[in-house]
Amino acid sequence: MLELNNLHARVVPEDGPSREILKGLSLSVPAGEVHAIMGPNGSGKSTLSYVLTGKHGYDVTSGSATFDGEDLLSLEPEVRAAKGLFLSFQYPLEIAGVPVMTFVRAAMNAQRKARGEPEVSAPEFLKLSKLAATRLRIDSDMLKRPLNVGFSGGEKKRLEIYQMLMLQPRFMILDETDSGLDIDALKVVAEGVNALRGAGHGMLVITHYQRLLDYIKPDRVHILSAGRIVKSGGPDLALELEKSGYDQFLKVD
Amino acid sequence: MDLADLPSRRTEAWKWSDLRAAMSNQESVLIGTGAMPAEGPIAALAEMFGDGYGASALVVEAPGETFESGITEGDAGQYGSVIVKAGATATMIERIGVSGSRLRPFLPSYARIEIEPGAALHRIIVQANSAPGDERDAAIVLNEVVVKLGEGASFRQFVVAEGSRLTRIETSVTADEGAVVEMNAVYLVAANRHVDLTSRVAHAAPGVHTRQLVRGVARKGGRGVFQGKFLVERAGQKTDAEMAHNALLLEEGAEVFAKPELEIYADDVACAHGNTAGQIDENAVFYLRQRGIPDTEARAMITRAFLLESLPDWMDEVVRAEVEARIDAWLGGAS
Ligand SMILES: Nc1ncnc2c1ncn2[C@@H]1O[C@H](COP(=O)(O)OP(=O)(O)O)[C@@H](O)[C@H]1O
Ligand SMILES: [Mg+2]
Repeated sequence: MLELNNLHARVVPEDGPSREILKGLSLSVPAGEVHAIMGPNGSGKSTLSYVLTGKHGYDVTSGSATFDGEDLLSLEPEVRAAKGLFLSFQYPLEIAGVPVMTFVRAAMNAQRKARGEPEVSAPEFLKLSKLAATRLRIDSDMLKRPLNVGFSGGEKKRLEIYQMLMLQPRFMILDETDSGLDIDALKVVAEGVNALRGAGHGMLVITHYQRLLDYIKPDRVHILSAGRIVKSGGPDLALELEKSGYDQFLKVD
Repeated sequence: MDLADLPSRRTEAWKWSDLRAAMSNQESVLIGTGAMPAEGPIAALAEMFGDGYGASALVVEAPGETFESGITEGDAGQYGSVIVKAGATATMIERIGVSGSRLRPFLPSYARIEIEPGAALHRIIVQANSAPGDERDAAIVLNEVVVKLGEGASFRQFVVAEGSRLTRIETSVTADEGAVVEMNAVYLVAANRHVDLTSRVAHAAPGVHTRQLVRGVARKGGRGVFQGKFLVERAGQKTDAEMAHNALLLEEGAEVFAKPELEIYADDVACAHGNTAGQIDENAVFYLRQRGIPDTEARAMITRAFLLESLPDWMDEVVRAEVEARIDAWLGGAS
């Protein structure tokens, strides 16, 4: 479903020189699978999520990324989104003055329009929203407030998953969704995420810690170090990492 | 009076709005106008050119009255005074250049407003420029009110302005004990448009509550000016005043000039001011695009929300819809 082949990418900061961050990253996530990416701070995990979703300032210098066989890298971010790619941000943005529900409805309709589908009706939208909010134990008042403004770290992460449930993407990238969540919130969020697993759906779960993977069980685990996958394995790899740390893998170069 | 009597960029209070230069191709209107009075240029020009609503003031005695005025084709501006009697409440709506008809190139308006103790005035200005063709950039719009606010009285103002060759909207308030002042505004300046919002609030007695939130956007070749001053006199103990001006420069070559000023002579006050001018947050734009909202719409959505934050909650639904429609049209169109 998602195929990355020898991907090289650099960040181009507005001030300062550009730096190569991804240095030949290859990865294949078949439909229906959940893959975890683990790696130390600064190894390029968030950079990978931005490259895949098309953020400005991240240039792919060589290699390829395809989604259902189609070149992903030439598409605008909104086109990627309409094709079903969703990023749960490590640091969700605050959007002043735009209430959560207004925003999600606009996003939903923009995606539907791009796919040539009819708009969601008001009653249908409210029904979906209620279901998603109940599932994630989100207070309905929160959905009337401006998106993420004044929300706690945990609330923001929960809202990311709420948006994910509403938009029903086919491929999800979760960038450190566990950070800022206490154990109860983590369970609730994981349940929400697991609801979107299944045939035809793929997922990349980026995390620093094994904890999240107790609740979202991955099919494969990859270790990212200095912009490259240095080791891949089954779910046990995450446990091994938790026990003995990253160091053993970082000497590979 | 001639061109040399008009303020130019060398006049501190007009340094970003050079009236003399803007009027230079309309010198003929000044011929035969006598000497420049001391009151200030807008008052003087409005008295000379505006339609007086009289030496006899407009007196509001009943509660809940609404007055609407529109400056459109053929109007030369206005000059007069308004008294809102104790206990009365009134709404004034001034529409300048909204109708789409041709405007006279020079439109000065001036009013003295007295709001008696316990009275309330809401004032709304919708300044647009929907005249056809090239004429829309030509007009010089000058609008000034001087407000005397009695004990426990309130003055709440909202301005939305799209500018012209030169538009200056000036508001001066002197507030007595326990008065409430609100002066929010939105400006939207496209190419060749100039909006100047200048205001001054004198807190002359204890316990005045003042809020000012001005939000503006400018495109290439457009110029926004904000000059806001809060003066707290020695008698203005327990003044509670906040001023904020925030502008978004939507394109390279957009200009915004701001001069927020606090001048405080009392020691027990809470005064704050904030002033920013910058570009739209690209990280926020990307967040919206990642959710499927196309670039242009994402920018409009963020900008719209930014501007709407300054719309007051007291504004009636119909007027609010009119203001929102202006903002949407401006964001969606070339001008
Ligand atoms: N926009 C940026 N500007 C400058 N440096 C960046 C930017 N984004 C990422 N980097 C750098 O790229 C490296 C990888 O960062 P990141 O992808 O955020 O790592 P991780 O998510 O694994 O912690 C870091 O050294 C970081 O400083
Ligand atoms: Mg990261």
